[in-house]
Amino acid sequence: MTKKRNYIDSVHFYGRIWCIAALFVMLLVPTLMCLHLNVWPEGSVVGKAFFAIAILYYPTAVVEVIAYAPLLGSGGTYLSFLTGNIVNLKLPCALNAMENAKVKANSEEGEVISTISIASSAIVTTIVIAVFVLVFAFNPRFTAVMQSETLAPAFKQVTYSIFGAIAATYFIKHWKISIFPIVAISLLLLFFGSIQIGILIFIGVVLSLLGAHVMYKLKWV
Amino acid sequence: MFQDFKSDGFMFLIVVGVIIFVIAQSLFFMIRAIKRGKALGISSEKIKNTITSSAVFSIAPAVSIAVTVLVLSVALGYVLPWIRLSVIGAISYEVPAAEAAIEAAGLSGGIGSDVTDPKIFTAIAWVMSLGCILPLILIPLILKKVQKTVTGTVNKNAKWADLMSAAAFIGLISAFLGRGIAGTGELKVLESGEKINAVIGDGAGVLSIAAIISAVAFMLLLTLVNKKLKWKWLEAFAMPLAMLLSMGVVVLISHFAPNLAAIEWRY
Repeated sequence: MTKKRNYIDSVHFYGRIWCIAALFVMLLVPTLMCLHLNVWPEGSVVGKAFFAIAILYYPTAVVEVIAYAPLLGSGGTYLSFLTGNIVNLKLPCALNAMENAKVKANSEEGEVISTISIASSAIVTTIVIAVFVLVFAFNPRFTAVMQSETLAPAFKQVTYSIFGAIAATYFIKHWKISIFPIVAISLLLLFFGSIQIGILIFIGVVLSLLGAHVMYKLKWV
Repeated sequence: MFQDFKSDGFMFLIVVGVIIFVIAQSLFFMIRAIKRGKALGISSEKIKNTITSSAVFSIAPAVSIAVTVLVLSVALGYVLPWIRLSVIGAISYEVPAAEAAIEAAGLSGGIGSDVTDPKIFTAIAWVMSLGCILPLILIPLILKKVQKTVTGTVNKNAKWADLMSAAAFIGLISAFLGRGIAGTGELKVLESGEKINAVIGDGAGVLSIAAIISAVAFMLLLTLVNKKLKWKWLEAFAMPLAMLLSMGVVVLISHFAPNLAAIEWRY
């Protein structure tokens, strides 16, 4: 028990250090660009655009941290929020890994598998992006192929391919609690089709939790 | 390419630094988790499988992230979008963030127009960086408390907690699947007032449904094959394989039936 606490505590200790380091790196990048180009932007332009973005994304960020942390585990949360692309990559990747390893998200084994999975995903993603961007930058013909009418649609639909595959696993196991959120969200979208995905996820999670809780109380699941 | 101030040699050096940072932190967490996993008795085979299947799983989404870099490179060059999508950034966030920053800077062409003024470029760089740092401040402050609350709840009622954990993720899946079934894409309003589809393939339509249904079908099929034949390797690779096969179906439809592929009922 002491050992478990030690490992989790050390994850939080080092995770916090990495977060502060990442914060420093995030601010260093535009600072270096300004120093290199020898220009500094107008505060009013930055402020105006920042406000427009912050009002939309900061509430989502709070919800994301609270909603994803229990699914990702502590190490997984630090790592995925530092590397980004959580919902479209790190989260399904970690859940798939935990499913395959037959460990639960809220156990220490789950914590370990989730962290290994997200780290592997982050390294591969960074390398793939680097290779592709360099190929794009030096070979315009490749860019044309990637944006061709045949290949481009597959990448536009990649999120549906990921969530379709992961849905199959989850829906088989938990089909009773799956019907309500999917029907409710589809109906909601029929009336308000352009709801931003961050808000939609929040609504989906709340509806699903409520539905599952009611079914649990009624002893349907 | 190096003549452009947005993608010159120094800018590439910044990217190299960021890439080293991301890989270093990933290796740091991975090595510690592997050590802990071994101490907990998790087999080397399970750990190896986790690493390889997660790597394979990540390739196609990573390519789609790279394509987003390409989309943003028209306005911002390669380096800034590359950095932004390698640390914290996400496809769903970076494009609108860049769009809002470009608009606020007074450029009307959005992400389709080349940003040639270094002053505007640096403003965009600041906005895109500041816009996504909240989790870095929030996580060190609240994560431990959130996890403690979760652990406490799990210890009290494990069955309910497991159900809620599954329900949370099902809610998330529902948001994405719902969007593929009934979500609208971007609309463009013409001067005449007529609304037309601005981006083909972003609204619910034949391709989004084909991607969902084929991914579900391939996953079920692979799970069934795995149960019957008990191929250990397939267990770890079923999901990335189902995802890639589903993308293949989308490619086939858009290649052989472009008219069918263009149908969107919610553009």
